Amino acid sequence: ARGLAANKETHFGFQTVSEEEKGEKVYQVFENVAKKYDIMNDSMSLGIHRVWKDVLLYKMNPSPGILLLDVAGGTGDIAFRFIDYVRSVRERQLRRKLKHHQNLSWQEIADSYQAEAVKPLGDSQVVVCDINKEMLKVGRQKAQHLGYSEGLSWVVGNAEELPFGDEKFDVYTIAFGIRNVTHIDLALQEAYRVLKPGGRFLCLEFSQVNNPLLARLYDLYSFQIIPVLGEIIAGDWKSYQYLVESIRRFPPQEEFKAMIEDAGFLKVDYLNLTSGIVAIHSGFKL
Amino acid sequence: AASGGAGGPEAGPGAEPVPERGPESAAGAAQPPEPSVLPLLVCPLSKRPLRYEAATQELVNEELGIAYPVVDGIPTMLPEAARKIPARP
Repeated sequence: ARGLAANKETHFGFQTVSEEEKGEKVYQVFENVAKKYDIMNDSMSLGIHRVWKDVLLYKMNPSPGILLLDVAGGTGDIAFRFIDYVRSVRERQLRRKLKHHQNLSWQEIADSYQAEAVKPLGDSQVVVCDINKEMLKVGRQKAQHLGYSEGLSWVVGNAEELPFGDEKFDVYTIAFGIRNVTHIDLALQEAYRVLKPGGRFLCLEFSQVNNPLLARLYDLYSFQIIPVLGEIIAGDWKSYQYLVESIRRFPPQEEFKAMIEDAGFLKVDYLNLTSGIVAIHSGFKL
Repeated sequence: AASGGAGGPEAGPGAEPVPERGPESAAGAAQPPEPSVLPLLVCPLSKRPLRYEAATQELVNEELGIAYPVVDGIPTMLPEAARKIPARP
């Protein structure tokens, strides 16, 4: 008979490993690739990952004052987009307010601009949480170079065991992170716990291609080109081999939708991008 | 007195031994955490509130007797990174 709790097995790409091992191996992958992560994303997806992330923000449509938790957010791509989006919404709000007040004194106009300067994000905040401190360090350096500081913080934490209180956040995002989590159901439960009632769960992740011809080309590209790129650019074939295998292992759209519903989310649906190469799943805590 | 410091030998395999003074850490020595995140943080194990101890740069869970390090301004909220604090008499 099998041992009870003794080393439950799971997958690491196409390998079978113990659950404990998986966490360690995934950590190693991201520790190795951290510095080249962004370059690799651009090379592998021919820059298309930027569009996918833009669409995620478009779906989120955050307004100033929103509190976002971006899990597995490592190098900050979602966080920076969130800040840009909220900033521009706020600018538009202030400009619209000014337009409606026809007889403003110079002082009143100056005060409005002052308000915008003092609260460019209007109390919005994003917390980037990642289990891997190397990825967070890269993210923080990027933030410094790009001039992001207001409303942004970084926390090392585990998606399965988040260090945040109940009902704190308006939106929870996880972009290209959840397939690396050992216990996806726990991550979904934690997402539910930390969201405020009315809060939204958004997941951007690789999914299943719905077009048979494209599926074959995608397989070819994944298994023949990507690991080679990984070797040339990051000097790390194995990590990128893991990456493409982990994509194949992740549940397809409908199955993942059911998992999200199991965690308690309602009005769960998904949007396929690029013929299902990626999908954005969304659910609400109601 | 320099007590413990962020991630001393007791802190377990995940933590860094010394706050980095290289080009990566902008402020040189130990950076304080971003204040806006502190009220959101709880112990990942018990989900109970923590006390921020500026002197040792740690987030303390009195009930469980453990403290999470803040490394380079980043709260490291992993149970493996926490150190046990000696119980007060």
